[in-house]
Amino acid sequence: MNKIRKKRLVSVMTLIATSFLGVYLILSALNSNLDYFYTPSEIINAEIPNNKRVKLGGMVQMQSVIRDGTNISFNITDFSNSINVSYNGVVPDLFKEGSGIVAYGMIVDNRLIAENIFAKHDENYMPPNIEIPSE
Amino acid sequence: MIVEISHFFSILSAGLFFLAFIFSTRTYQGNHNLELLVNRIFSYGFYFIFISFLLYVWLAIQSDFSIRYIAEHSNKDLPTFYKISSIWSAHEGSMFLWILFLAGWSQLFNYLLSKNDLLKAPAIGVLAFIIFGFLIFLLFTSNPFETILPIAPINGADINPVLQDPALVIHPPFLYLGYVGFVIAFAYNTAFLIKGDMQINWEDVIRPWSLAAWVLLTIGISLGSWWAYYELGWGGYWFWDPVENVALMPWLAGTALIHSLYVSSKSKVLRGWTILLSISVFSLSLFGAFIVRSGIIDSVHAFANDPQRGLYLLAFSAVLITTSLIFYVYRLPQLISKNLVVAKSKESFLSINNILFAAAIFAVMLGVMYPLIFDYLYDKRISVGPPYYNTIFAPLTFLAAIFLVFSVGSLWQRTSKLLNFKSFLSMSILFAAAASICISYIYQDFQWWFVGALFSGLLILIRYFLLIVDSMIKKSYFNKPSAIAHIGFGVLILATALNASLSYEKIINIKPGEIYKDSDYEFYLIDFDLINEPNYDSVRAKFSVKNIYTPNKTFFMFPEKRKYFIRGQITSESAIKITPYKDIYMTLGDQLDNGYWVVNIQYNYLIRWIWIAAAIMGIGGFAALMERLKRK
Amino acid sequence: MNTLLRFSILIIPIVGILFFYNLLTEDKFYPGANFKNFNVPNFKLQSLDSASSFKKEDLQNELLLNVWASWCITCRIEHDFLMKLNSEGVRVTGLNYKDESIDAINWLNSYGNPYNFNLHDLKGSLALDMGVTGAPETFLIKDGVVLVHYSGEVNQAIWDSVFIPIIQENKMFK
Repeated sequence: MNKIRKKRLVSVMTLIATSFLGVYLILSALNSNLDYFYTPSEIINAEIPNNKRVKLGGMVQMQSVIRDGTNISFNITDFSNSINVSYNGVVPDLFKEGSGIVAYGMIVDNRLIAENIFAKHDENYMPPNIEIPSE
Repeated sequence: MIVEISHFFSILSAGLFFLAFIFSTRTYQGNHNLELLVNRIFSYGFYFIFISFLLYVWLAIQSDFSIRYIAEHSNKDLPTFYKISSIWSAHEGSMFLWILFLAGWSQLFNYLLSKNDLLKAPAIGVLAFIIFGFLIFLLFTSNPFETILPIAPINGADINPVLQDPALVIHPPFLYLGYVGFVIAFAYNTAFLIKGDMQINWEDVIRPWSLAAWVLLTIGISLGSWWAYYELGWGGYWFWDPVENVALMPWLAGTALIHSLYVSSKSKVLRGWTILLSISVFSLSLFGAFIVRSGIIDSVHAFANDPQRGLYLLAFSAVLITTSLIFYVYRLPQLISKNLVVAKSKESFLSINNILFAAAIFAVMLGVMYPLIFDYLYDKRISVGPPYYNTIFAPLTFLAAIFLVFSVGSLWQRTSKLLNFKSFLSMSILFAAAASICISYIYQDFQWWFVGALFSGLLILIRYFLLIVDSMIKKSYFNKPSAIAHIGFGVLILATALNASLSYEKIINIKPGEIYKDSDYEFYLIDFDLINEPNYDSVRAKFSVKNIYTPNKTFFMFPEKRKYFIRGQITSESAIKITPYKDIYMTLGDQLDNGYWVVNIQYNYLIRWIWIAAAIMGIGGFAALMERLKRK
Repeated sequence: MNTLLRFSILIIPIVGILFFYNLLTEDKFYPGANFKNFNVPNFKLQSLDSASSFKKEDLQNELLLNVWASWCITCRIEHDFLMKLNSEGVRVTGLNYKDESIDAINWLNSYGNPYNFNLHDLKGSLALDMGVTGAPETFLIKDGVVLVHYSGEVNQAIWDSVFIPIIQENKMFK
């Protein structure tokens, strides 16, 4: 009986130890991969350090879009403050002046060098939202 | 008039399911006639909801815009196909479909399961309760039968053009069928836990149902991924979006379940794990439904809904999940087998498999929950992106692959010597290591995840190759469905890694008459066409493309930009050229003032193979199901 | 096995349920409700029949501004509730959004007119400046400042939980 008990104890302990290790690894992976979301006002007020990747959300400011070849630059505003964003590539379909977007990239000198641009769907204009592998 | 009948039939169905539930609680005394009555009432419950849904489909085809939901999501000019699919394009209608499938699976179970099965009555009772609960949710908080009277709109709102697509027509049905199919395992196991008779062989009953649901869920998720790829214009196939994740978690639990079932039915160990998994799969489906429909998650994908609906779903899911868990915890000591799992036996590897899958589910759940928790505690919005999920999933996948290969050729309830010098296992490890180093060298990519994925994928494929050849020579038995599914898994690992490593994109400026020369291809922009369709206008580019190495074979690609009238919405239709090893994926950007256009060209390597791999896994699961059914 | 240890598994779902319950019943949790205040921008728009034109100063001190259009089906549904608000003495001003005036006038004639007057925003410029992305949307405005911006259909439940608290807090519509 004792031997079996011992074996069981060992396996349970190993299980717990590996679980803790696993949880620790998962949590540290999580912490180093969080994307913080800011509005333009928050960026201006909060003094985000340079070379930090953030998500910036707001409206594309009217008459702020400038195109130069494959580059595009525009301002994102939350009606109080605005931040200039530059991006190289094809912008999503819903992107236009006055539309709501989220830009993801690095803040350099209070400007955003965007790696990705996401346009927000609005539920009212198109009540059924896209249902991708969702329930 | 018809809408009232449809509505009435749904109410009737709810009443019948309620009756079935009530009567089932009284069958504990073993009253056989009462049990038969319960089954019959249950059947009628299904018939009425089925007819109710058929009538609703009729209303949608007839474009009856006096019904609010149909007016909001359909349109007179839609092809019939899309008029039907508009039913499940938003919350109320898709909930209706979900309930129909719930009732359908349950009725099939009711019909096929022997009436002498000891657990049938309580299982049917559980199913009746679940269906009733969801029907109440539908009728009181999400009523698809609401009318706009006295004056109905002449025409409905157009549905989102993105939803007017064949993939979006079949993706939700397959997904729901898969999701909801696991309710059978849930109900039968809950009945088992309530009854407490440990001798009952529940594994054999729920195994075919779980396999069937798993195959459908695999197909459903793959369809979603494939649709996202060609429709969204980004060339991506998986975004780790919360709504995608809540569909992935039941799939992970379901995969673990079918493996754990395999062990439990053969060796009677891991029973505790298996039941916990079967409760988890459906619980995760409930969780997914809640997250998507409560308005909590701010995602591109979520249905916009109000908290009232969220509260009901939360309460109902809470009742179902905690009740089954309470019974689980109560019976746990009796479930745990007195036998230990033998080290390095097949059971041991499969139980490690369970642990790995549990870790994966935990990691995804954490990724979904963390932004909510963070916002709640610190009032700060964050998001968890793909890097987190990729970092977690890569090592877990590699470990799973390694233990999988260990388990091939291992024995039930006995330790086997696997790692001796001449064993297939050792050979596979050597070949896989050599091959992955060579391939990494050829592609000059030595990132840990790339090499790891190559090694894992090749390890699986080589090991199974050796197994198949050996079995053919010796004319011995090997588990074919499992081999098929696992080969699919190996292909999946290789395809995703190669796709991630090799794919690249080019963003160019081009105007009609110009040629863009890339390393392997030449793109000649001939001209633009202006196209007028009944519900949209479009600007379509005409590209003539040729592979430099086969200059005589040119093909055309037509990326376009459409403007839909009713909503003024602009969408891009990407042009895709499929070749055996890659996709050429072109998206039209904006036109610049000087007449140049921005065009994005992506080379997506091996992307088709990802879905082919998923299909192979599905075929393996289907083969397992067929084998199981034939034995009956 | 230790009974206490076993039953402690239940802590996980219970904590989860309590957490989500908290989220759902949070004050001011309504997807679509935005309480960030801002000033109504200056504008100059015509009425639907082009007979008069309006500027920012012409708006009342306290008003509900409802963004609507004849092509918007959900507006048709919200319309019944707006008529009900009318019968309770609440006045609504309309912002007709990206709509032909003929279509808008016909719509009002068919279904009834809950608006004291309408601003005809054909291009959607005022709407854009106010952060409108579709219809229906409703603004609660006091002294030229937007107090509530709700995106979506306003019904009794939304009215009671989103608008009434702010109306009472600011002692409006007395």
